[in-house]
Amino acid sequence: MNCDWVQQNVSLYLYNELADDARHELEQHIQRCKACAAELAAQQEFQAQMNALVVEEPSASFLASARMRLQEALESAEQHRAWYHRFVFDPTAWLRQVRFSPALAAVLLLVGFGSGLGTMYSALGSKAPHPASQNTIQEASIGGITSIEHKPNSNDVKIQYQRIVPDSVEGSISDPQIQEMLTFAARNNFNNSGVRLDSVDLLTSKPDDPRVREALTYALRFDSNPGVRLKALDGLKDYVKQDIRVRNAVLDALLNDSNLGVRAGALKALEPVRADTSVRMALQQLAKSDPSEYIRTESDRELASMPAID
Amino acid sequence: MGQAQSRMNDTELIREAQRGNHAAFEELVRQYDGAVLRLAYHLTRSEQDAQDIYQEAFLKAYRNINNFRFECSFYTWIYRIVTNLCLDLLRKRQVRKEDSGIAVDSEGGTYDLMDQVADQRSGASPERDLMRRELGARIAKALTKLTPRERMVFEMKHYQGLKLRTIGEILNTTEETAKNTLFRGTQKLRAALRDMK
Repeated sequence: MNCDWVQQNVSLYLYNELADDARHELEQHIQRCKACAAELAAQQEFQAQMNALVVEEPSASFLASARMRLQEALESAEQHRAWYHRFVFDPTAWLRQVRFSPALAAVLLLVGFGSGLGTMYSALGSKAPHPASQNTIQEASIGGITSIEHKPNSNDVKIQYQRIVPDSVEGSISDPQIQEMLTFAARNNFNNSGVRLDSVDLLTSKPDDPRVREALTYALRFDSNPGVRLKALDGLKDYVKQDIRVRNAVLDALLNDSNLGVRAGALKALEPVRADTSVRMALQQLAKSDPSEYIRTESDRELASMPAID
Repeated sequence: MGQAQSRMNDTELIREAQRGNHAAFEELVRQYDGAVLRLAYHLTRSEQDAQDIYQEAFLKAYRNINNFRFECSFYTWIYRIVTNLCLDLLRKRQVRKEDSGIAVDSEGGTYDLMDQVADQRSGASPERDLMRRELGARIAKALTKLTPRERMVFEMKHYQGLKLRTIGEILNTTEETAKNTLFRGTQKLRAALRDMK
């Protein structure tokens, strides 16, 4: 080991990036070489000087505003599909696509309009189109429209569509298939908050399953009904300590939920982790400037009951 | 939570996100977005630019999640996207010679970077405060002497505390190259600070 090597690697020594043997040799060299010892001191001074420029943690409100903006953008963002995915049929993705498709809503309108005019429909797979009847449309859940054809010089429209036939399933709450159906209902049953509430209520009895917690976290973050969100919070509250994703979701609910009851519940649920930096920062911000007097007072009380940090 | 555990959770989340699950992707965002915003803000010193980089990085990750092949950690992947965006911005600024000790907050107001310099003691005297501000100005000016890549390596090593091996992975280069870049950057900074004394 010579002086050139030492002087090139002295900063790596201070950053603890040298292997043990190189580290040992460098220390030996420094003890007998004044020039290299001076270089080490100069590098130490330089690093201490650079430390004067602190790296600040982004404030809770700065982070919250960045997250909000991203969430809005993600709603309209589309994923690029890998080439091989074109050949793989994913039924869950297909269902999601159908559910979210605004075109489907338009097509459903067309179906209603069409039936009023006595138009013709055909089920996918059947060769000859059959006349539409109110009964068939009511009985069938439309899964997707594959084509629409307006017959020339007439009022007739031919629509090919796929049907989802109603079905039911029964079983124990511990049955994986039942749990899967419940998590699906908790996430996807947009028009029926009663069904969502029932499914979330049943899921709260199984919060030890990470997939169930994920579904409850989703409900807490995104469900439009405050009753469902409160129920999900109730199922998650015992996991704020051990599951960081649960803690983040509850913290988000405390900061951003539109319902005061959910926020108050989140504040209470976070008590076991109130010393956590992110929770403490959020409490400080809320105690200072939250529009709700209750949240301000309770945040202040939580902070006051914490041991002082030096 | 151990690193292996966190990596396993990431794998599950990525697979879910690849199936189009928004919530899974948002969980991934929440695990890393604090670090991403901190890096972008410290590098750009502008709340607006930091937020733009944050937004662009996670949108890119979302759009391209199906191309993620698990050859590196999600952490390395998202940092690679962020550092590329930061490098682009630093290069643009270098061309415009805009980088200075002045930072821009989210409302477009400016404040002096010197205010970001740590004051370890409460009730600092006006003299000490002045010295602190002068040191801050010197550091900010010295940092502008680095190339964007040197700046990035120095930032990730000195301020973010990443290992050189990880920095190499993030920048798609070798640990040896990252080491050499750090050495060059450090020498330039020391010379710049010496000249300004």
